[in-house]
Amino acid sequence: MSERRPYVRRQSRLWWASRTYRGYTLRELSGVGVAVYGAVLLAGLDSVRRGPDAYAAFVGWLSTPVAIVLHLVLLAAMLLHGLTWFQTLPKTMPRLIVGGQAVPQKTITNAAIGLAMLCSLALVIGALS
Amino acid sequence: MADRDRLTIELWILRYRPAQDEEPHFVSYTVTYTEEMSVLEALQSIKDEQDGSLSFRWSCRMAICGSCGMMIDGTPKLACSTFLRDLAPGPVKIAPLENFPIERDLVVTVADFVKKIESIYPFIMPKETKPVEAGEYLQTPAQMAAYEPFSDCINCMLCYAACPQFGANPDFIGPGAMALLQRYNGDSRDAGSRERLDLIHGEDGVWSCTAVGLCSEACPKLVDPANAVNQNKTNSAFDFFLRGLRKENHS
Repeated sequence: MSERRPYVRRQSRLWWASRTYRGYTLRELSGVGVAVYGAVLLAGLDSVRRGPDAYAAFVGWLSTPVAIVLHLVLLAAMLLHGLTWFQTLPKTMPRLIVGGQAVPQKTITNAAIGLAMLCSLALVIGALS
Repeated sequence: MADRDRLTIELWILRYRPAQDEEPHFVSYTVTYTEEMSVLEALQSIKDEQDGSLSFRWSCRMAICGSCGMMIDGTPKLACSTFLRDLAPGPVKIAPLENFPIERDLVVTVADFVKKIESIYPFIMPKETKPVEAGEYLQTPAQMAAYEPFSDCINCMLCYAACPQFGANPDFIGPGAMALLQRYNGDSRDAGSRERLDLIHGEDGVWSCTAVGLCSEACPKLVDPANAVNQNKTNSAFDFFLRGLRKENHS
């Protein structure tokens, strides 16, 4: 006698917190850090619009310990998000065929990271000069 | 030498017999193993020597049939290409593939998956059929490289077991079927991508995917299903915005 009674296991609501998905969850969470940094930049831009006093207050806030710690955390989030995004990049595009052969995904990731570093470097040099 | 031959390892196997068990539960088995013994061979030795009622699927023993996928210590793997020496000292937890209903012991229900791969028009649909006398449909090595890895899928469903979004939405077409879809869409001899478009839209199409990426890591054949799903997000988005421009919509 055979009896069919398929058993359905329910997915844990905390699946994203399990070790298996930790890398993914950190990548997605670091996106929040990127958004927060965007908000900080916008606040700075808004202080420029509101006049010299508001801008001076914004620059003053930037050198407080809270702002420095926040920026260090946001920098870490930004680096993690940038790195993991460029690792995801080759998955989001059609296979790149050059000379009849597929370009390895690592090459695409490394080229993108290199380009991002060059742009960042150019920005920093531009800001300092 | 004698000691080396008598290595033992404990396996915790999730068992479910629908006629007797209300729900699945782990049962412990201890097996004697040698260096070159796979998890599949351990299961076979349990079935032969300890408990003939243990159920699991297998066929080829060499990672090409895709039958023996299961969760081994929480990771979806083929039992035939996973070796006990790498899992020692144990105990090793063995469970049926995650995200699928359990039929019995390590056997899961595959019906929905089979329906999905049938639904994507899994064959080449040439723009114009030509008689045999006209010769082959030719293809350059570069054209072949554009889809070739997607044709390596063995339908083992490890990618579905690795995908938390398939776990959350069983109607999500999922990584394996999308890899097969891209195998045909990406083939220069095929002209069926229009017919396949409706299958990739919406939450049950590609949009349940959040690029977790573990499907590609789980794949024993390096098919990279995450790539198949995510490049079709672009196709789905393009179609959403540009479908008004298509000729057949203006007849």
